[in-house]
Amino acid sequence: MRRIESRLNTASAEFRANAEHNQRLAAEFREKQRAVREDRPQRDIDRLRKQGKLLARERLDLLLDPGTPFMELSSLAANEAYGGEVPGAACVSGIGVVSGHEVMIIGGDGSVKGGAWFPLSVKKMVRALDIAIENRLPVVHLCDSAGGFLPLQAELFADKYFGGRVFRNQCVLSKMGVQQVSVVLGHCTAGGAYVPSLSDYNVIVRGTGAIFLAGPPLVKAATGEEVSVDDLGGCDMHTSVSGTADYPAGSEEEAIAIARDIVAQFKKPEKAHISWQEPEEPYYPASDLYGILPRDIKTQFDMKEVIARLADGSRFHEYQPNYGKTLICGYAHIWGYKVGILANNGVLFNDSSLKGAHFIELCNQNRTPIIFLQNITGFMVGQEYERRGICKDGAKLIMAVSCSEVPKFTVLCHGSFGAGNYGMSGRAFDSRFLFSWPQSQTSVMGAEQAADTLADIKVRQMQKQGKTLTQSDIAAIRDPVLGEFKRKQSAYYTTSEIWDDGMLDPVDTRNALGISLSAALNAPIADPSYGIFRM
Amino acid sequence: MHHAFKLEEEQHSVELSRSAKAYRLHFNDQLFDIDLKDGIDGRAWLSLGERRIEVAIARHGDNVYVHIDGESYQLRYQHPLDRLAAAGGGSAEDSILAPMPGSVISVSVKAGETVKRGQILLVMESMKMETTIISPRDAVIASVTFESGQTFDRDAVLLSLEPQEKAE
Amino acid sequence: MNATDAPVSDWPFDCVLVANRGEIAVRVLRTVQSLGLKGAVVFHSADAATLAVQMADRAIEIMGETPVGAYLDGQQIIAAAQSCGAGAIHPGYGFLSENMNFCAAVEAAGIRFVGPKPDQIDLMGDKVRARNFVERGGFPVAPSAIEDDEPASFVERARKVGSPLLIKPSAGGGGKGMRIVRDIAVLEQEVERARSEGLRYFGDGRLYVERYIENPRHIEVQVLGDGQGNVVHVFERECSVQRRFQKIVEETPSPALNAELRESICESAAGIARSIDYRGAGTVEFIFDQSGEYYFLEMNTRLQVEHPVTEEITGIDLVLQQLRIAAGEKLGFVQSDVLSKGHAIEYRIYAEDAARVYTPTTGPILLLHPPQGQGVRWDSGVLQGGEVTSAFDPMIAKLIVLGHDRDDAIAKADIALRDTVLLGCKTNTAFLRRLNSHPAFIAGDVHTGFLDANPQIAAEPELSPGTLQALLAAASLSTRPMRDVADAVPDLQAAMGPWRN
Repeated sequence: MRRIESRLNTASAEFRANAEHNQRLAAEFREKQRAVREDRPQRDIDRLRKQGKLLARERLDLLLDPGTPFMELSSLAANEAYGGEVPGAACVSGIGVVSGHEVMIIGGDGSVKGGAWFPLSVKKMVRALDIAIENRLPVVHLCDSAGGFLPLQAELFADKYFGGRVFRNQCVLSKMGVQQVSVVLGHCTAGGAYVPSLSDYNVIVRGTGAIFLAGPPLVKAATGEEVSVDDLGGCDMHTSVSGTADYPAGSEEEAIAIARDIVAQFKKPEKAHISWQEPEEPYYPASDLYGILPRDIKTQFDMKEVIARLADGSRFHEYQPNYGKTLICGYAHIWGYKVGILANNGVLFNDSSLKGAHFIELCNQNRTPIIFLQNITGFMVGQEYERRGICKDGAKLIMAVSCSEVPKFTVLCHGSFGAGNYGMSGRAFDSRFLFSWPQSQTSVMGAEQAADTLADIKVRQMQKQGKTLTQSDIAAIRDPVLGEFKRKQSAYYTTSEIWDDGMLDPVDTRNALGISLSAALNAPIADPSYGIFRM
Repeated sequence: MHHAFKLEEEQHSVELSRSAKAYRLHFNDQLFDIDLKDGIDGRAWLSLGERRIEVAIARHGDNVYVHIDGESYQLRYQHPLDRLAAAGGGSAEDSILAPMPGSVISVSVKAGETVKRGQILLVMESMKMETTIISPRDAVIASVTFESGQTFDRDAVLLSLEPQEKAE
Repeated sequence: MNATDAPVSDWPFDCVLVANRGEIAVRVLRTVQSLGLKGAVVFHSADAATLAVQMADRAIEIMGETPVGAYLDGQQIIAAAQSCGAGAIHPGYGFLSENMNFCAAVEAAGIRFVGPKPDQIDLMGDKVRARNFVERGGFPVAPSAIEDDEPASFVERARKVGSPLLIKPSAGGGGKGMRIVRDIAVLEQEVERARSEGLRYFGDGRLYVERYIENPRHIEVQVLGDGQGNVVHVFERECSVQRRFQKIVEETPSPALNAELRESICESAAGIARSIDYRGAGTVEFIFDQSGEYYFLEMNTRLQVEHPVTEEITGIDLVLQQLRIAAGEKLGFVQSDVLSKGHAIEYRIYAEDAARVYTPTTGPILLLHPPQGQGVRWDSGVLQGGEVTSAFDPMIAKLIVLGHDRDDAIAKADIALRDTVLLGCKTNTAFLRRLNSHPAFIAGDVHTGFLDANPQIAAEPELSPGTLQALLAAASLSTRPMRDVADAVPDLQAAMGPWRN
């Protein structure tokens, strides 16, 4: 495997302009993240302090092994929803190391609306548990939630992937033999009571922790019984009378220390075996990525330059270097793990689609996880390409992507448009993890294309009704569509809606992929099998 | 910070983590690259950042003894579960500990007896001197550990008091 | 000088029982065995794992209600000597070494007592009689009042001695039960307290008082007599560095003496010993005031803890001399044969915490690396794997250094103290090192109150941040629960470190 020879001119005006632009975007992203993590109304913080409770991130610091990485997922979930008033969707999720075990951590954030579950909170938790299922990751639940946010109950209660899915996923995990521990740090009311109840182990804090189907006010309303929180579902009652909780703790710190000791008892996973070698830093610095990514979504750039900033030693074995050149395929190592990489260098043609499908089959045959680096405007359109069977060649790629048994990881590096999103293992294709870069865009087609198409339909309807439209009439139709489209194709909207697993500063991508790969190997890799490839 | 060592009367919170090559010490919001390599006859070489320090180390239970630059130190490890459980639970004042090793000359109280703050509970002898142990508060004696004539080590529990009712 | 007149095979004993423990048992056995004699030792089970028991040709277990009680049980010890055929008993120091009844019982059993005659012990063991005897001989003694002389007027007479004064139990020794009175108003109170302590320690409440000399030096003289009319002194030792009336550092020659004073004090000591035709090794202790006056304090009729410094500068094996005398030989040399060379200092290694008013410490001896090097002597009875308990005196070893002069000895001691590793039980080595480097000590300008006047020497020095970091690093890496948590982290995450996205 030889080193990619970078052709980048880091002294060029273009590089510097890009770098400045993308560094600003990264800084904006960091600032949004900081605000989501830290900025809370003082009265909420005061209330928690008075109760002797820690903030969600302080709990994380106590829970995680010191000096180890934590990959937070969907840090900006709900940042474009609920008027921006539910930072992080009122919960924290991520993958970290606890007592030497890689675990999924899901923590309620009591400093946001008492940790109430919003629709996107549920979506984020369900996704975290899906990740735990797919990657067989043990789960630590840090329970601190006021329960479902009642005004929006219709959007979080009954549907397949709504609230019930949290508990269903817990049961599935348990059935798979993947262990869970809950730490009850606040009230677990109604549905929330099932989180600790469905865990293999749970710890409850005396005084602040409580578990009950209905809290004292509801009990009084229902039966007239008057009972205190502690007597109804407090630490000592549950650990000595009901057996609903296992370990009593005198403080949050102690509860978390007990949880760490519980995780230390978990069985060590037997990881799926894939090729691995001693890791090596990339030869080219990750910070070059800022100068590689163009300022305009429509500007093309060489994805091999990106690979050179992610791969160990910047080394890459390119497959079919002269065929289907708009899709780069090849092998590299990331944090020592051998991976196959599919990266877009232009629109997908017939040959590039066939090359991609073939390479995915190779990776499955030699048990090599696959990384998709997306910058795709879609499959090529037009009579010539339809005649050559662009649909059936695209179908082959989608079939290979869908049926791939090796873990897949997707990074939305830049554009992710149309069926290209599918062919490059978009959200619907069960990549184990999917991340987006701040300037990336995701939609069925480009915003201007879409606005033009919509405006065109409208104009033709009007013309049928015998109306003629001036340029300004057309602009009045087109511009709002364009604005709305642009907002919804932005990476911030994508990440707000949890269409990804979180936004990444590009320089963090190598580490995020390393952690993702390591996590994915907790699940066994099945032998390859596919449906029908349309020949 | 979960782990702690008690050195003299002071408690120091620390964490240990592994790095690519060796270990890191987390202390006072600082990170230090550290490692320990065994030398001959019980001596060892400690690396701390750029420094290489000859040390001798011995362990006994939760005690770690370290000889460094002519001085020996005793550090008492406090397991997070013990430390946090103690922090949340009973008060240390319920146990009256021996201030130094010695022997009991006389015991003035019996279990179950009510005593006043300042009342003499026990007279001990150490270092050719008599020391009287007095009650730190009004209390009921829960238990008396030694009879007169018996010897004890430093920090041995001489007497214990019934826990105080928590102020509501 | 260490040769014997008659071959050892002609001695009336071929086996010597050491009625002691710890470093002195080891010290005596070393000479006994080097002479080709058999060395036996008695031991209480608390001492089963000590060096003396290990090196002795015979080790005989003795019982007691307390460990100390066992070593004070003369009948058991004599029985032990008989059981192993020991023809001599060496009592070491402390325990029964100055017990007239024991001495008499040993000799009555037909066993040689390695020490003075019973009446000599008796005389010198009673501080009051000893003082009067010495005074009558024309040797200097400090102003005093003795209760026994006329108990009714004791307090009144004590008052006349004037403050500051020192109350001592008549039967006492080693600093036990002594009280300084600076305010005559509390005299009566202090007398009662001293009496109660005397009763408890010695079963004897009789007291005496003497003038308390401010900032005195403690200078003592080693003497040897054969009980056949020959007495020599083996120079002085200065033992002024004390804590709680107990010696910590002893040296010879004394930096306080010029040749004239040395001659005078050494001859006074020899004269006192000569006046009773002393048999064996003994030590005459003097109190030496800042103006150069000295007064008789007491005579110890046994081998002293600090005897090695005398051995180091004179080359005389004092235990060998004791055995020769016990065997009935005459002194093999005269005063002019006794020469000294160099400067020797002894540092007592105590299991104690200097910073906590020298509180004794206890604990297992997990690791022991005695210091090594030319001119470095390590007299110790403890072994790695052994344990320091509160059952006995906290002195666990003695470091003796010999230099060509005092500065050389001090410099060697600094290195030896630094290199002394004893883990598991706090010792005073670091304190001794601080003391050793104190300007007043280096200048030889000390007195018995020196440590009380300079408490900063005993205080724990502030820990530097670098040392604290090193300690925590070493401790963390040596603590299984911490190391296990660190080692459990997978390679990838260990290499990545505390990354956050």
